[in-house]
Amino acid sequence: MSSWPSQTKYIGAETRRIDAPQKVTGQARYSSDIQAPGWLYGMILRSSLPAAKIGGINVDKARQIPGIKAVVTLGDGERTVHFYGEELAAVAGTTKQACLDALRAIEVDATPMPFVVHETDAKKTDSAKVWEGSPNFGGPSTREHGDVDSAFSECAAIIEGFYTTPVQIHNPMETHGNTVSWTDDGVTCWASTQGISSVKDSLSGALQVDQSQVRVITEYMGGGFGAKFNAGVEGILAARLSREAKAPVRMMLTRFDEALAVGNRPSSFQKIKMGALADGTLHAFEMDNYGTAGFAAGGATGGGGSGVELPMPYLYRVPNSRVSQTVVAVNAGSARAFRAPSNPPASYGMESAMDDLAVKLGMDPVEFRLKNDPNPIRQREYAIGVEKFGWKDKYKKPGSSPGIVKTGVGCAGAAWPAGGGTRSTKGEASIYPDGSVEFRLGVQDIGTGTRTVIAVVAAELLGLTPEQIRVRVGDTNFPPGPGSGGSTTCPSVAPTVNDICSNALQQLQTLSGVADARGDNWYAACKKLGVTPLTVHGQWQPGLSESRACGVQFAEVAVDTETGFVTLKKVVAVHDCGLIIDKLTLESQINGGVIMGMGYALYEERVMDDLSGVVLNPNFETYKLPGIADVPDIDVVLINMPERGVIGIGEPATVPTAAAIGNAVANALGVRVSSLPITPAKVLAALGKVPPVASTTT
Amino acid sequence: MNAFQYATAQSNASARELAGAKGMYVAGGNDLLGLLKDYLVPAPDILVNIKALPGMSQIQRGDKTWAIGALVTVAEIEDDPDIRETFPGLHEAAAEIASQQIRNVATVGGNLAQHSRCWYFRHRDTVCLKKGGDLCYALNSDNRYHSLFTGNTCISPVVSSLATMFAALDATAIVLRDSQETRMSMDDLYHAAWENPLAHNSLKPGDLITRVEIPVARHRSTYMQVSDKHTFDWALVSCAAAADVDGGKLSSPRVALGSISPVPHQVEAANAFLDGRTLDDATASAAADMILAGAKPLEHNGYKMPLAHALIRRALSKLVA
Ligand SMILES: Cc1cc2nc3c(=O)[nH]c(=O)nc-3n(C[C@H](O)[C@H](O)[C@H](O)COP(=O)(O)OP(=O)(O)OC[C@H]3O[C@@H](n4cnc5c(N)ncnc54)[C@H](O)[C@@H]3O)c2cc1C
Repeated sequence: MSSWPSQTKYIGAETRRIDAPQKVTGQARYSSDIQAPGWLYGMILRSSLPAAKIGGINVDKARQIPGIKAVVTLGDGERTVHFYGEELAAVAGTTKQACLDALRAIEVDATPMPFVVHETDAKKTDSAKVWEGSPNFGGPSTREHGDVDSAFSECAAIIEGFYTTPVQIHNPMETHGNTVSWTDDGVTCWASTQGISSVKDSLSGALQVDQSQVRVITEYMGGGFGAKFNAGVEGILAARLSREAKAPVRMMLTRFDEALAVGNRPSSFQKIKMGALADGTLHAFEMDNYGTAGFAAGGATGGGGSGVELPMPYLYRVPNSRVSQTVVAVNAGSARAFRAPSNPPASYGMESAMDDLAVKLGMDPVEFRLKNDPNPIRQREYAIGVEKFGWKDKYKKPGSSPGIVKTGVGCAGAAWPAGGGTRSTKGEASIYPDGSVEFRLGVQDIGTGTRTVIAVVAAELLGLTPEQIRVRVGDTNFPPGPGSGGSTTCPSVAPTVNDICSNALQQLQTLSGVADARGDNWYAACKKLGVTPLTVHGQWQPGLSESRACGVQFAEVAVDTETGFVTLKKVVAVHDCGLIIDKLTLESQINGGVIMGMGYALYEERVMDDLSGVVLNPNFETYKLPGIADVPDIDVVLINMPERGVIGIGEPATVPTAAAIGNAVANALGVRVSSLPITPAKVLAALGKVPPVASTTT
Repeated sequence: MNAFQYATAQSNASARELAGAKGMYVAGGNDLLGLLKDYLVPAPDILVNIKALPGMSQIQRGDKTWAIGALVTVAEIEDDPDIRETFPGLHEAAAEIASQQIRNVATVGGNLAQHSRCWYFRHRDTVCLKKGGDLCYALNSDNRYHSLFTGNTCISPVVSSLATMFAALDATAIVLRDSQETRMSMDDLYHAAWENPLAHNSLKPGDLITRVEIPVARHRSTYMQVSDKHTFDWALVSCAAAADVDGGKLSSPRVALGSISPVPHQVEAANAFLDGRTLDDATASAAADMILAGAKPLEHNGYKMPLAHALIRRALSKLVA
């Protein structure tokens, strides 16, 4: 059975990204940089109404605009629009301005219908219906263990809280989109995707083109966070436009589009009641949660929850629990998987309740967690974090920090049930007589450093340096790899490369007669290949990877009690992910996870407007993301556990941040802001400083 | 955006002539291009680039008055060591504006004449009062960033950080109107927006801001704002204050607030109350009460009351520190 070497030179060390020079010099071609010969701009017309009956779409005038080469519509005849920004038609043309003009020339016969954009309103019986004639939500799904009602009567302390999280938008730096060329020879798609294989399958299915005729290429792409697995409406429209225009069409969405129709993290409204025995043992838990995953989440579609339902009571062992959850439809864009689906909101609700109950019990929040979290790895991580963070000195009674600007600390734990390898992962390598070597895997590097992981593992096992390994990924003509989601890429790819390397060494030995072709013998062994390069294959092997990473994070904040302004001062993030491959790219994942979690805690929120049904903040001016001045000192502490094999880290790294920050704010203030994002407005309200509304308006 | 002519003016007179009735001036373009791309203002038939106009790019330092040309960039104000010395608040206000990239191209004239930042006005698919519709969405819906005061039914606040500071410094905008120089206080410059929901400021088509004059009368000045984020974010509330301080006593103090009214919010009675007083907590607090008296917090912007109160107290105590 394959294994990982016990002594390593590159695995677990710090290797700079092998494609860093290309990225910083601009040589790396991202999907949005692709300029296929003769390419046209593509653009989408979106509904300006949140709900409407569409009688028809007239594109005649759009076709007349100079430079317009193709116009297609979505759906023929009558149709119903369910959210603001829903795709109606698309155009392709030689300039951006021609496309913009064409979009304005399209005539849409739309009759507005009643709509509802907020979850709480959509739950009311007299609410407008997202799906005509059908309720906006199905019956709650309920799980129950033990005897909750009598358990509460046995508790020494009980808290009740209402913890809410907003809809968060993925907002990768590179927007969704692709360039598609559809000719009689087939379809080529340069996609900004986290799953070249799934894009290939979705295009082939939607366009009715044989899979053998579809090729998807993703050399470099700028992030996805779960929202970029399929070709999407934009990919299919680009293909149809390309077919009609007989030219490649580049359809990159705008930042505006990103806020409307290509995914988000569902909201949560968690009513929690939780009780513990006098010794601090959790005893009873009850939650009623609802949230929205957008228009497709209603009773009519019977699904599409995309993470509304939370895995509660999350990390903790509670013998008696009742969890009831409702997925509510609203007239807004659909949710998609978003970095650790369900986990950050679960963490926020549960870890907030944990701190509130710890306060009521008079227990230290870390002690309270250690008592109730059965996971031995997290127990270890809390111990490390407590030291590193200086928890014992920093933790004070809530609200006891003196002065106007109060400091506070908080912590929270992370779990990620997945993060293991995808068994079907394959790859190949060509070894040339001159000793050069190229690895090819049909996986994509979504910015996490997958190329570098491949180079590090190959260099280690072949006795070469990472710079000597040429890596090609992001092409469905290569042996198929996994989608980059669920934190599975590294544990899929590393074992596959391990297998390719052992096959390579075996075959090199047979062909060259050199007993051990590694390291110093490499060139001599390769030379013996004569004129024929050696191509070897490999696939994922068991025993080299695992799943279920843990983690704990500690946060320190300063809160100005007169202005409500929160400054995140420090985060200590203690994480494990089995065998560490490259420390630099790993730390980078954790930094990114913390920063994203910070945005979730303090700034980010999709704002829907009741009156018009539009997304009010479809830009980075009012959809607020952390900037570098907001980012705290982040201290990443890694536990290397080679015995577990390789585990993914992308998701667990972002899970506990918001909860830890929320707890730190509550610790500083002595009252909880129980709704994310924690804005100055909400801090001042929690402190009771906001006067009642002077005049009611109509 | 709609098609337009483009011309570069070489003199003030030609700028006005080129612009005609339906033209617009373009300076740094930060604000204007966004408006045009989203079709938020009536399509101009010509854009007149005013960046080549002579004599508008200087900071002139006088004994009694400084003149800041309308084409001086926000970054130039931020970086000017003499401004930092003479009008520290102006330096602070400039430094808080947007990002370095925007400050590098944003001009004083453009900053003062910028349009509403209300998210209903800026949205391409809502026709609000300010765009000629018949409904102020903000009044009835999400008004978290909106005004506590207004003289009409539009609650879009003035957001120019420079205007807020200029108001506290009692600065005057010099505007070329019908070939006459008109002097406008900051209150004058925005008064139309106080009265008329369609107005963003009091400038009429063809009006050209040439410079801003600041009296060298108040040797202490400061600007502070609170946003949701640390940098590159609009103020939720901003506060500017200026005064002379003599033996702990304030003289000729002025306080102005941004983001809470269609005009830089100033209460002369509060300025008069502070004049000649030694500042202590109670005095600062009483002044803040006077400045905020009559405010009408709405469903989502009530937090601006304690925030504004705190900023007024802090700005005043920074003046005497
Ligand atoms: C993300 C973001 C954040 C921002 N944050 C802030 C902030 O915190 N505080 C702040 O104050 N501003 C902020 N701004 C606004 C920015 O400072 C202004 O857009 C900028 O100053 C406008 O100057 P400009 O030279 O680019 O004007 P332009 O876009 O060229 O012109 C703006 C308007 O002024 C008119 N105009 C220009 N010059 C003159 C003149 N001399 N006479 C008469 N009319 C004239 C134009 O016709 C146009 O209507 C922000 C902007 C952005 C995009």
